[in-house]
Amino acid sequence: MATLALYSNKGGVGKTATAVNLSYLAARTGVKTLICDLDPQSSATYYFRVKPKLKSGTKGFIKGGKHVYKSIKGTDYENLDLLPADFSLRNLDATFAKLRRSKHQLKKILKPFRDQYDLIILDCPVTISILAENILNAVDYALVPLIPTTLSVRTYKQLLKFCIKNNYEVGKIYSFFSMVDWHKKMHKELMVTVAKTFDGVLQSFIPYLAQIEKMGIHREPVAVSSPRSVAAKAYQNLWDKVQQIIL
Amino acid sequence: MRNNLKFNLTEGYKEQQLISELADQFAIKKEPAISESFAIYDTFDWRLFNKSLVLYRSGNKLFLRKLAKSEIMHTIEITSIPVFIWDFPDGKLKQHLVPIIKMRALLKLVEVHCRSTTYRILNQDEKTVTRLAYEEILPSREKDAPALAAHLWVKPVKGYPQYFRNLAERFEEAGFTISKKEDIYFKALEVVDKKPGSYSAKLNLQLDPDVRSDDATKVILHFLLQVMRINEVNIEKDLDTEFLHDFRVAIRRTRSALGQIKNVFPMGTTNRFKKDFAFVGKLSNQLRDLDVYLLKEDTYKAMLPPVLRNDIDPLFEYLRQKRSKALQNVLNSLRSKKYAKILHDWEAFLSEPREDSATTANSKLPVIYLARKRIYVKYRGVVKAGNLILENTEDEMLHVLRIQCKKLRYLMEFFSSLFPRKKINVLIEQLKKLQDNLGDFNDLRVQEEYLLNITKKLPATHQQLKKTLVAIGSLIGTLDRERQTVKDAFAKTFTDFASPANKKLFRELFTLSRTSRN
Repeated sequence: MATLALYSNKGGVGKTATAVNLSYLAARTGVKTLICDLDPQSSATYYFRVKPKLKSGTKGFIKGGKHVYKSIKGTDYENLDLLPADFSLRNLDATFAKLRRSKHQLKKILKPFRDQYDLIILDCPVTISILAENILNAVDYALVPLIPTTLSVRTYKQLLKFCIKNNYEVGKIYSFFSMVDWHKKMHKELMVTVAKTFDGVLQSFIPYLAQIEKMGIHREPVAVSSPRSVAAKAYQNLWDKVQQIIL
Repeated sequence: MRNNLKFNLTEGYKEQQLISELADQFAIKKEPAISESFAIYDTFDWRLFNKSLVLYRSGNKLFLRKLAKSEIMHTIEITSIPVFIWDFPDGKLKQHLVPIIKMRALLKLVEVHCRSTTYRILNQDEKTVTRLAYEEILPSREKDAPALAAHLWVKPVKGYPQYFRNLAERFEEAGFTISKKEDIYFKALEVVDKKPGSYSAKLNLQLDPDVRSDDATKVILHFLLQVMRINEVNIEKDLDTEFLHDFRVAIRRTRSALGQIKNVFPMGTTNRFKKDFAFVGKLSNQLRDLDVYLLKEDTYKAMLPPVLRNDIDPLFEYLRQKRSKALQNVLNSLRSKKYAKILHDWEAFLSEPREDSATTANSKLPVIYLARKRIYVKYRGVVKAGNLILENTEDEMLHVLRIQCKKLRYLMEFFSSLFPRKKINVLIEQLKKLQDNLGDFNDLRVQEEYLLNITKKLPATHQQLKKTLVAIGSLIGTLDRERQTVKDAFAKTFTDFASPANKKLFRELFTLSRTSRN
């Protein structure tokens, strides 16, 4: 049993596409998987063609147990279930803040599902507030997509600093390069530097590809819509690396 | 979450018709059909079936499940199909099967093919909300082969119960019945005309107590002849050692029946066949001995101190070479004219109508009387001989007692259907314990002698062989100590058997009580 967050404190880096594709690939190998869409934008939920609706919204969500269980939907794929997002999740930060042990609420909510699934993948919204701390407390691993740009690397440094300052284990944070453009000299150079500078950078990257952007049209993981594409191969390669670490 | 439902389609209802009807109401997406083959395995004498187990292979996996259940008990990955238990990788599956299949070979009973097509039922977002799977079990890979069974599975998708309910209700209204737990195992075996449990070397006869003794004896002997015939053809294939073993036991029982069920056939006939079967029995003595030693290879090695464990290998090499010659000899004798004539004449005798002129003392007696009398006499003989041994335990006398016990056991098994099943089984169990003790003692004695003898035949010229002799010596030592332990246990084992409670039960079942008919 493992829990993995697709997390970043920077937006538009490819978290959702990665969460959707990795959860599909995991389920396909027989790993019983639950993907939790924590982002009120509900993109992961949309990709799986499910309505973004939680039974009793955020209230039900923070109660946990059967309130959450009732909202889980089977996807089009064997072994893969989805906990849909809900627009009310935008208040999740504020709701957690009002509770005691406010940084451990998500861990409590996910606990009953650790027995039912082999893998839980969280698709997280951009955050570095209380929700981020809930995420870091709840998961065994956090996977951070990094675009090889100066700003993206700077944000990543910020995250690591934040973890060290607040006593979160930096060892469970892994990263990989996302939206890589081979034509850009800067991308290539930064990838080399970053891999040397930080621990936990996976030797695998996802190129910037139209196929991945088209997921919004097909509403399917790329391995389903175009199984032989470069994108499908890149995610498979990433999953192989991730699997070695978490399972 | 709801469980999958399995429906039988009504007669004449086809997959295509069903789907096109549903398509009026639902968006449906068809997945590519999946074909898998399943091969079912068991031993020749149905050991797995007798324990309600089904062992089957699909792809590179081997599965074990209970009959009529779909949950898998154990799974392993395999590169080739194991034939003997020692071919299995260590693990739970092996542990489960060891005490069941023992030394018997696994044979492929049948291979069937399962073709299944999944249809996804979609909602307006084109999201899967229920799965339907049409599954056909086919006797061969050919496209137009008639299916052995066809089912429609309705599989719910979590979070969309209303679609599942709706479809299930719809199928029930259409007259589809929910499939009961009929195991495809039986249908698959029907294809190859195999009847599960059809072979057993155990005497499972139903005798009528009032039938004439000669007729009843012929029923028993006929059964034994069938066992011989069934196994005889398989000895040649040399799949495992137990075809020969069952063949030999049937011969031994035949001889015992001829000797122990006295005066039912004309004396000349009885004597002739007694002699004939003594001859047939001897043909395979050497081969069986070698089988026994080779089966014991691992046990023997475990008895040796680790430093000598590999030094015993030349002995087993020698025995293996001897065995292939011995097998050839047995096969030649089974093909001989003499053997053919014995079996032919025997079959003719058992099938011919009796000649009423040639009656003997017991031939007309209702079998129940003869059975009681013979068993009781034999039982008394065993008790008497055993008591003598308690006073003076001589090896030779233990051997004699062992033979007596075996004769008693065969008699009780021949006639067990004439007596209350529970009671006679209790006595057979008690007798078995005594037989185990005597059998162990005898086996150890014979093995010691055999090993000692074989040392003369292994040329001790090489250093390696000298070490082999040391290993054999060490083995004899261990066997001898074990023999002493077994011998020490005799007194208690025998006293248990000859207990007053057992004596009472023997008297109750096998002496002529006042209430019995004249």
